[in-house]
Amino acid sequence: MTDDYEHYEAVVVGAGPGGAAAAATLARNGIETLVLERGVDAGSKNVSGGLLYAEESSPYTIDDLFPGFREEASDREVTEHYIHNIAGRNVKTFDLHDLHHHDTEWADSVLRRKMDSWLAREVHEMTRETGGGLLTEVRVNGLLREGAEIVGVTLDELDPIKADVIIGADGVNSELARDAGLMDWEEPDEWFQGVKAVAQMPEGAIEERFDVDEDEGVAHLFSGDLFENVRGGGFLYTNDQSLSIGTVFHLDSIADQRAEPQELLDNLLTHPLLADWIGDEYTELEYSAKLVPDSKKVAHPSPYRDRLLLVGDAAGQMQAQGPIIKGMNHAVTAGALAAEAFVDAKSRGDTSAAGERYVTKLENEGVMDKLRPTRYRTLGRLGEVGPVASAMNAVTDSVVGRTAISALGDRAESLFNSPFLMGMLPDTRMGYVTVPTVVAEQLGSPVEGESTVEPPELDDRIGDLTYDVDEGNPHIELRDNSFAASGTAVTACPVSAKDFGGGCYRDEYVGSNGTEEHVVSLDTQPCVECGTCAVVADTNWTHPRGGKGVEYEQG
Amino acid sequence: MPEIDPTDHEIAELGPKIKDVDDADELREMLELEESGEDRAPVKTLIESRIEKLEEEDEEVDPSSADLDDMTVADIANLVRDVDDVTVLEDMLEREQAGQDRKTAKGQIEDRIESIEGSEDEAGEELEYVPPEEKHPDLDHPTNDKQWVENIDGGTYRDMWVYCETQHGELIDVSREMLGKARELMDDYNDRYGVSDEVGGSEDSSSGGDEDGNPEDVVAVLIGDGASDLTEEVIAYGADRVVYHEDDRLERFRHEPYTEIFCSMARAGGQVADEDHEDVEWKEYDEPRYTVFPATNNGRDLSALVQGELDSGLASDCSGLYIEEAMISNPAKTGKPGDSKEFDRILHMKRPDFSGFEYSTILCIDKPFRDFHPQGASVIPGSFEIPEADPEREGEVIDFDMDLNDDWFQVEVTDFDTLDSGIDLTGHDVIVAMGRGIGDAPTEGIELGLDLVDAFDDAAFGLSRGVITSSYDFDGHVEQYIGEDRQIGESGQVVEPDVYIAAGISGAIQHKVGMDESDTIIAINTDPDADISGFSDYYIEGDLFEVLPRLTEAVESGELAAAVAEASDD
Ligand SMILES: Cc1cc2nc3c(=O)[nH]c(=O)nc-3n(C[C@H](O)[C@H](O)[C@H](O)COP(=O)(O)OP(=O)(O)OC[C@H]3O[C@@H](n4cnc5c(N)ncnc54)[C@H](O)[C@@H]3O)c2cc1C
Ligand SMILES: Cc1cc2nc3c(=O)[nH]c(=O)nc-3n(C[C@H](O)[C@H](O)[C@H](O)COP(=O)(O)OP(=O)(O)OC[C@H]3O[C@@H](n4cnc5c(N)ncnc54)[C@H](O)[C@@H]3O)c2cc1C
Ligand code: SF4
Repeated sequence: MTDDYEHYEAVVVGAGPGGAAAAATLARNGIETLVLERGVDAGSKNVSGGLLYAEESSPYTIDDLFPGFREEASDREVTEHYIHNIAGRNVKTFDLHDLHHHDTEWADSVLRRKMDSWLAREVHEMTRETGGGLLTEVRVNGLLREGAEIVGVTLDELDPIKADVIIGADGVNSELARDAGLMDWEEPDEWFQGVKAVAQMPEGAIEERFDVDEDEGVAHLFSGDLFENVRGGGFLYTNDQSLSIGTVFHLDSIADQRAEPQELLDNLLTHPLLADWIGDEYTELEYSAKLVPDSKKVAHPSPYRDRLLLVGDAAGQMQAQGPIIKGMNHAVTAGALAAEAFVDAKSRGDTSAAGERYVTKLENEGVMDKLRPTRYRTLGRLGEVGPVASAMNAVTDSVVGRTAISALGDRAESLFNSPFLMGMLPDTRMGYVTVPTVVAEQLGSPVEGESTVEPPELDDRIGDLTYDVDEGNPHIELRDNSFAASGTAVTACPVSAKDFGGGCYRDEYVGSNGTEEHVVSLDTQPCVECGTCAVVADTNWTHPRGGKGVEYEQG
Repeated sequence: MPEIDPTDHEIAELGPKIKDVDDADELREMLELEESGEDRAPVKTLIESRIEKLEEEDEEVDPSSADLDDMTVADIANLVRDVDDVTVLEDMLEREQAGQDRKTAKGQIEDRIESIEGSEDEAGEELEYVPPEEKHPDLDHPTNDKQWVENIDGGTYRDMWVYCETQHGELIDVSREMLGKARELMDDYNDRYGVSDEVGGSEDSSSGGDEDGNPEDVVAVLIGDGASDLTEEVIAYGADRVVYHEDDRLERFRHEPYTEIFCSMARAGGQVADEDHEDVEWKEYDEPRYTVFPATNNGRDLSALVQGELDSGLASDCSGLYIEEAMISNPAKTGKPGDSKEFDRILHMKRPDFSGFEYSTILCIDKPFRDFHPQGASVIPGSFEIPEADPEREGEVIDFDMDLNDDWFQVEVTDFDTLDSGIDLTGHDVIVAMGRGIGDAPTEGIELGLDLVDAFDDAAFGLSRGVITSSYDFDGHVEQYIGEDRQIGESGQVVEPDVYIAAGISGAIQHKVGMDESDTIIAINTDPDADISGFSDYYIEGDLFEVLPRLTEAVESGELAAAVAEASDD
């Protein structure tokens, strides 16, 4: 009898920025709200680069919903923003001031463990008042249906729970979105893979090396030839007492080129341009990784089904505005709008209309147009079609192209600062590699100095992470262990590598009597739950049970 | 008209605008406009929460200076709820009398004073006991009292009793943890309570303790077939007295006899003692003041049964304990509505809720005409530290004599199984462990390792996780050796043999923590720089397929043993 199940007005799955915003808005409107989070603590599973934007045009920003957020949960206010075009030692730096400040009320660097756990405490207090609360260490493993209709969630640790609205804020690789048939994990070109290292900084070093005040911060972006033709770029953000240094690449590019993400990150860490910033002592506090959806391709135009409303990464609402990455802010907006939609629907006596209202709000508030710009829909996609892409590439790299870029000189900087242009750049090598490399070669000058940074090997990176291993319950299963089907994961998995026996995926040759098979084996213990192999390998992919798996201290 | 008409704006624009309005009245007007106009729920909440915020800012009223005339009775009722200082309240009362002198307002303040001070006309007024059958004549089954248990009223209670669970004839860790905690609690208890003050301020700590100034004890309870062997140990861990009962039939835990024995011990010597134990030398009080059980499978069973039988309550799965006073206003406990009463010597039992996000503190308190003692808790293993054992400690040992009724053993244990703990790699002289270095010929690699194991007198065969999680195709005869029960390391077994031989293992940190306490570590690896070289005593750079057979030969001919013995002598 399903009627015996526990019932709440609203269940929010996931306590990231999207879930927190939704829960706060629901609670503020007196809706009985239960929040479910699989980590031991909110933030213990989450990774971002770390720039959280508050957009002027946005109906909700995080500090509207959580007064005190900036004092308590974020690190530095980032006021300066540069992009470095790199070709070998040659670097041409552009100030991204205009792009950074376009539509920006403020932008703060954040570390997710600190940020999300603070939000969770606030959310717990608020939702408790409504008769709900926030539970950690519980994993939702699917949707509860009555007939064909979604009416609640099922969990690993508890009995099923019914709700009038379910906010799916469970992030990228949303099991809810997949269960509802709203998202699939098939096409690598719909995702980015982000990999990050957090480096410890001595007291006062950030102020000195970056020439900023104590509460000010800087953002640096990197593109060009240091990533071996893999499409994507790097970032460096200043936190209170550490640096977040990472890379974000198109997953299809990582997969096709059999690139090793940890090596690409190391290329950045050891580039002489970063030597002075990082200093002589490189202490890596944490290595982390996660997929990010590309909203241009996957932001769902109608992210709901029955009572389930998806927000944030779960709905593909992660915008790459050229080199600037905006996921957290959109998750916040969408979370609050979804909650608002339910409140509206309830006040009109028809909670089943919440989904429709949510879609209307996303459109009316201009969120959808940021996520899936019409310009990109027409122009960008075209540029990605094979022949066109390589033609453009060839032109840029040709004498004509080079001359044009030289002639542009510093006006090239203003092109980079156009949100309009950045929104329609096609996802080809041209934008990420060719243009920046040519810019650096034609306009840049060489950096001095040598890097002494020695990034840790993968086994040490894994060794430094905290895991609560779910003995005997691997959360990922290989459906097809042939190298042809799943071999890409050996390189693409951020904690695996060719010729490394300590990773999740290892390629092996097995067989006897002359018939040798090339296969992969999988051990999920070192897994950081990034989601990559859900897309690039043939797996049954789920998250670990509540509280199990990796636990990030920084995030 | 307010400056902003919300109905002219989108929600998005309103957020920032509303934030700038500082006048609550203006906001109320805006709210009205919205209500009569578009009536959008989120807009209303936006405005309402702004109003609330503004009012909160004004609100922070100080009770000692608040202008009561300005306040409604409801406001006053809210205000006094947070005031605990009677002088402040009396001052408020005077101000109200001097001002509007509202009867209802005065009533609120007086009620609060009364609930803090406790009612003054307590004396003389005796509550009268009405049996539940009379109190609820309409019910044919009044459940207030459980007729089948012996309830006590106004009994005497002493000591903290700790049920010390054993397994295979040994104390389990949580038993030691509870003894340590009980010792700490009762030492503090004996320091704090007692009559020393009234008697005339004697500093002598021995005058602390129960209501008459006698110190109270930690009493350990041992039940089982080998209970008498453990009495010294429990004293060493902090017990003042051990009560034990030993019987061959008690080899493993069984509900009935264990419950009967524990309760008989707990009641011995008091008003509800069973026939055979009405007079015992070691105990005069009715029942224990406190009981503590482990929250293990058996401990959970026993704690619930015992506390039920003794007609008390149980706080299960606790992670914190302390003894303190408690101010209680629940009339079910105080006997009179409106009264607050201080109960002292209350065991506060903290237990995690909501997967540890919140804690509840459970109190078990007597009520009029029915005592709730012992105050009992079961404790999550690992919540407290294992104390340092003190073999010099002395204590009293009581062999509790009792006839066990055959009926209690009607359930017969015909068969039992120790949960398969698989293969125990600890306690061997030598371990031979194989890693992914066998990859080129996995079956052969395992065979070579097993050959080496056989060459030693007392060796066991282990694996790195890398082999266990591989997709290697092992032949049937070696397949049985591949499994997680042979894994050495962080998520496997931890071993410390005299000699650890690691073949084709790179020495990942998670493997290292399972073996680096071994006396002598010998590694075989083709890579001269593998991590394991950093913590090996002997490092053989070479192919395990060539090196292992030669090692086996050396062992069989006695050369290796000699070489190692020689090396470990230096
Ligand atoms: C390297 C990198 C750099 C980035 N840089 C930026 C940046 O600079 N700025 C920016 O704005 N964005 C950035 N992003 C993107 C940003 O992190 C995401 O868009 C954002 O976190 C999405 O928020 P969310 O609330 O939708 O999901 P998440 O933050 O992922 O939260 C989802 C939550 O749900 C929980 N959960 C998941 N499944 C379940 C389940 N089944 N049951 C219970 N709980 C579950 C998770 O534990 C998690 O707490 C970056 C991402 C990466 C990886
Ligand atoms: C949370 C967590 C818990 C873990 N727990 C454990 C654990 O409890 N136990 C455990 O063992 N691991 C554990 N691991 C895995 C651990 O990190 C390593 O992956 C594993 O120990 C590697 O096994 P290996 O040394 O056999 O393989 P590899 O690291 O691949 O090493 C193989 C070695 O063999 C050498 N070699 C190759 N060919 C030959 C040859 N012909 N002759 C000689 N040498 C050769 C190579 O040079 C190499 O050094 C855990 C990992 C995580 C993340
Ligand atoms: S196993 Fe899959 S999910 Fe886990 S870290 Fe590797 S690629 Fe990511």
